[in-house]
This record gives sequence, C-alpha cells and structure tokens, in this order.
Amino acid sequence: MDRFILNIIHRPEMVPEYAEKVTGHGKEENLGSEKLLTESLDIFKTQQEIAHRNGFRTTIQMTYASLFNEEAVALAKEHHETYRDEIGLTLLGLPCEEFREKYKTKDFCIWMFSMEDKKTIVTDVFEKFYDCFGFYPESTGSYYMDADLIHYIKTQYPSVKCAVATCWEEGPKAYHTCNNSWYTLFDGGPWNPWIPSKANTHAPAENEEQDSGIVAIPHLSRDLIACFDGNGSNFGTHPQNVLRGMIYKDGQYPYLYNLIDQYRSLKKYNRGYAYNMMFVGPGWMNKMGRWEAPYELLLKSYEDGMAYYASLRDQGELEEMTMAEFADFYRANKTYTQPECALWRDILYGSKKQLFWYVDPYLRTCVDMNQGGALVDLRPYAAKIDWPVGIGTKHVQDASYPFLIQEKYRAGYFTHYAGEGTIKSCKIIYQGEEVDMCLCRTKAKFREEGDTRILTLDPVEIEFADLTVKLQTIFYFEEGSSEIKIQRKILEMSRPEAEIEIQEYFTGCYGTTEYPEDMTDIILSCRSTDREESIHYAYKCREAEVENGVCAEVVIPNINTKASVGAKEEVTAYIREGYAFSPMYTLGLKKRMKNGEVLNTWLKVERAD
Amino acid sequence: MAQSGKGRLNYRCPSCFMRDLDIDMFYDKEKDEYYCIRCQYTGNEEDVLKKNEMARFRYRRMMDRITEFDD
Repeated sequence: MDRFILNIIHRPEMVPEYAEKVTGHGKEENLGSEKLLTESLDIFKTQQEIAHRNGFRTTIQMTYASLFNEEAVALAKEHHETYRDEIGLTLLGLPCEEFREKYKTKDFCIWMFSMEDKKTIVTDVFEKFYDCFGFYPESTGSYYMDADLIHYIKTQYPSVKCAVATCWEEGPKAYHTCNNSWYTLFDGGPWNPWIPSKANTHAPAENEEQDSGIVAIPHLSRDLIACFDGNGSNFGTHPQNVLRGMIYKDGQYPYLYNLIDQYRSLKKYNRGYAYNMMFVGPGWMNKMGRWEAPYELLLKSYEDGMAYYASLRDQGELEEMTMAEFADFYRANKTYTQPECALWRDILYGSKKQLFWYVDPYLRTCVDMNQGGALVDLRPYAAKIDWPVGIGTKHVQDASYPFLIQEKYRAGYFTHYAGEGTIKSCKIIYQGEEVDMCLCRTKAKFREEGDTRILTLDPVEIEFADLTVKLQTIFYFEEGSSEIKIQRKILEMSRPEAEIEIQEYFTGCYGTTEYPEDMTDIILSCRSTDREESIHYAYKCREAEVENGVCAEVVIPNINTKASVGAKEEVTAYIREGYAFSPMYTLGLKKRMKNGEVLNTWLKVERAD
Repeated sequence: MAQSGKGRLNYRCPSCFMRDLDIDMFYDKEKDEYYCIRCQYTGNEEDVLKKNEMARFRYRRMMDRITEFDD
C-alpha cells in the first residue's frame, strides 16, 4: 500500500466557540444575534468554497443549531448533490436558543452530560437530523466521545460508522494554556485513527467482541513532539492553530507543510498507510481576527493549507475521503492488532530529538531517543479501564486514559532535590559509579520482521573513571503480545575482563494529571521459582528482592491494571516502595554482565482481574 | 477612568504566552496600553509585537521547509 488519506470536515456552527466571546464582547450574551448567525454561516460557506475550489469533497458535520437554520440545511443538501460531500452530524455546536430553552443549561460538551441527558440529546439531535434530511448520518463526533455514548449511538443509530472521538493529548496542558478554563481533559488516546473498544474509547479493540462498531478519528493530526510537551492547540493540521502558536512570519508558515509532510512520511512505519485530518471550526476564522492575526491572514492560511493538500493530490500523493468512506477503507485494510507507529522528529525547535510512539490494543508508549530510549509515556490499554465520564460519574470532566508513566506530569529522570519520577530506563553500575541511560542521547531506526516492529537505537558509550562501555538497545514490539521486549547488548568494553551491573528499572505511579493519587491499594511483588516477596504500599520506602527472579510486578486495583517485568536470563528481581515525597513504585531486574553479553527483558501490561 | 475593552486583534499577553498560557489582554485607551490581568505585563502595541517576536525564540526551524524524513 502507498496511500496518504485526508479527511476534510466542516461544521456550520451557528454560535462558534470563541466567536460569541469575541464578536459579542461588551454586549449581553445573545445566541440568536442575527450578526452572529450570518457571520457563522458565511464562514462555513467560505470554508466549503475553498475546499470545492480545490476539487475536494468534504464531510459536512451538521450541528444541532444548524438544523434549525433552513439556509444551512439547504446548503448541505446542495453540496451533497453537487459535490458529493457527505452529510454527517456532530455533537459539537449544541449551543443555540433552542438548546438552551429545552435543556436549561449552558453545558455544551456531550461527554460531560449525565447518561440520561446524553441519551435525550442524542435522540433529539439525530431525529432532528432525520427530519431535515430523511436519513440518519454515517458519521458523527465531538472533541471526545466516551464509550457509553458511542455504545448508545451505535445501538440506536447503527448507520453510524465513523466518529471524531478525541483530540490527541488535549488534557491538563490545554487546560493550563486556557487559564484553567477549558475543560477538555482527555489525554492518553491514539494520534491516528483506531477502532475504540466498547469499554474505553481511548483503548483500541483487541477483537470483534470488543469492537465498539465505529472507526474513530482524532480531531486534527497533531505534532507528536510539540503537543506532548506543549499546548495541543498550537501544533496541528489546522492552519489557525499554527497562527495561534505564533509559528509564522510575514504571512508564511512552512511548519504547517512540514507537519503535513511528516504525517505523510509515517507510511513507512505503517505498511504504506498514512492519514491526515483537517477540521477547522468557524470560530477560528472570525471576521474580527483572532490570535493577533487579522481575518485576511486567518483566511489565507486556510486557503494555503487546502491548496497544499490539493497540490499533493495532483502529484498523486494524497487522496481525500469522506469520513464514512474512510471508515470502510480502514476496516478493509487494518486488523485489530496491527499497531500504529511513528518515529517522530522535531521539525520545529531544532533539537533533532526523536520520539517513537507506539499504539496497539494493549498499550500506548513513547520511547525517547534523547534519553537513551527511556519509556516516557505508558498507558495500559490491556486493562480496558472502565472510566465512565460525565455528570453523575466519578469523572465529570476528566476523560483521560490513566498512565503508569508520564514524564511531563509526574517527572521523568530529573527531579528536584529528592525522590524519583516516572520512567522506564536502565542504570549501568561499575565500582561505585552509576550512569543512567537517560543521559545517553541517541537516535533510532525502525524495521519490521514479520509481525514484530523493531526499534534499533544507535550504540552509546558510557564512560566510567577507568572503563568505557559501548552498549546498544533494541526494542521489539510483537503484535498481539501485550508486551515490549528490550534487549541491551554490551558491544565493547575498554577492559574486556571488567564486569558491570545493569539495573533495568521501571518507576511508575498512576493517574491522569500532575497530582499524585492514593497509592495505598497497590501491591508490589517479586517472585522466583520458589520464593515471593510482597509489599502492600504504605509509603514506607521498603525494598525487597529475590535471586533467580521470574518477575517483578505491580497491581493497581484502582485502575484494574497489572504491570510486570522479567528477563530471559538469570536476574535478581526487585521491588521498591516509594514514600510520601516520592509516591512512586519501582520494578527492577539486575544482572552482572561482561563484554559481549546480552540482557533480554520484557515489560507486560494486563488487566488485574 | 472608563472601563477597559478588548483592543484590536485580541492581543495575548506575550509574557504569559512564553509560559504556555494564552490570555487575552485588555486595552486601556487612556494610557494607550495593553495589560494582562493575570501577570504584571503592560505595553503598547509596538511593545506587544516586539515581545511576540521574542516568544518565537524557541522555534529555531520555524521558517525552514523540511522535506526529508529518512531514518
């Protein structure tokens, strides 16, 4: 396969996010303002005209508000007839006078409503759509679609096959960027399309039984380095996001094209398939300008972005699909267990950093080559964590998939003064000196062997006072295995008779934010063939180890997750409890090694029950 | 003194932007200055634009067109 597929989505949002705040500043709120409605529809028309002028079909996602607007409905019908645009239905854009009057609330994010309200609203919106068009939609979406919501929609409206279901790494970082006022908390999902499981939208389905029935697409295609550390809304295939990030000069924004091209390049990690989506809400093309940019620049950036996609298509490098078409394509060409891989490069800051992102139905992780191949993010999808969201649940707003490792939120290698941060790395110890691989900057290459994706890191040199060790790390991701295999090879030693100790360690916690969770239900254990040591977490800084270790594991009942490590070779397995100032746990394996020797270890995530 | 309003183009606070915080500034027309209600930044339009340039310091490849993505 050699295909780069683009979804272009437009929504006639009659009261666009931001527009009411901007256009209406200094005035009483008026969702029915003629000026606002006219401007909103004009922006939608402009977006559609730009797409059609470039020969693209779009997916028009009607909003609830637009279903009350005869002109918007007529436009959608006309564009469906003339250009073969798909008419879908988004659950964004609920706010309008009719919605306020009926539901007596200013809430507008579908995943935050109670389940009862979700059902009522979905029925209302879908039936209104049917009244307007005489059929039910095949695609829907929101910024986030929780599992219960998807299940309800799929049960009631089986025609739905595709949905915009999350924004990649839109969580606490976006919340902070918006002065702690933007409650889109849903980190931890895939960055490219996937089939959500019935249990948790973020976690892909392992098989037909777990299949939610839809293909999910992310809201935008986002920069896998910039968005991991920064505000997601600056670094995506959304031209005005790039303006918001101030990533332009004199009306030029090569970063936007670099981002599109890097997504194109991901074909080589995904058997010839690559994907992009562009979905700009009308509020971002406000006539009054936004993010210091005048309307003319907002418009130009959209025109330029679309023209670039068109130029790729004209060279045979891109094809556009509507959302429903894409869902069919995805199901015909991907298996449940096939992972999504991205060896992502820094294309903005000039650091030459590489991150390797990996997603399959069992885990999501990120390998940071700038830290010697440390795992800096780990989400245990195998646990399919039951995490209902919305009013009436434990998580009214927080829809993120919990992590075991997240080095930005819960520190990585570097901590202040004391304690440890979340990371999976390796320490090399020799005669009282200790070097962590996190300080060995390197690069990686990707290859496939059968159903195994292999990430080979360039060898690094570790210098002790009287010994230099050359060591190479290779990661193996075997499809369907729910584990990562890590190989450390000693390629050279300046003194061939020397013996070093390797400590392969995983320091983790759990959570969805920067703040610590209660660790007291956690159980740590390490086992050999004839012995087991356990620690029931009580912040007492205890340690235990067993020789000839089979594995070290942690069970976290609050997220129904078990993680374990083990080795092919004979090792000592150890566990370490944290303490109040360092609420972490560590699972480790240690082994004394000589020149030419290899240590093969694995990390596995599972459901605890 | 009259109340402040939104100035032209919704300028954000450049100081807050540099700490990944988007916050619109308000405009005091008597002093001809924008000010941030969260931090202590104040400045006229020229100063805001100058500081926005500073905020771009981290984007060292902002204007490079990158087309090679080989391993």
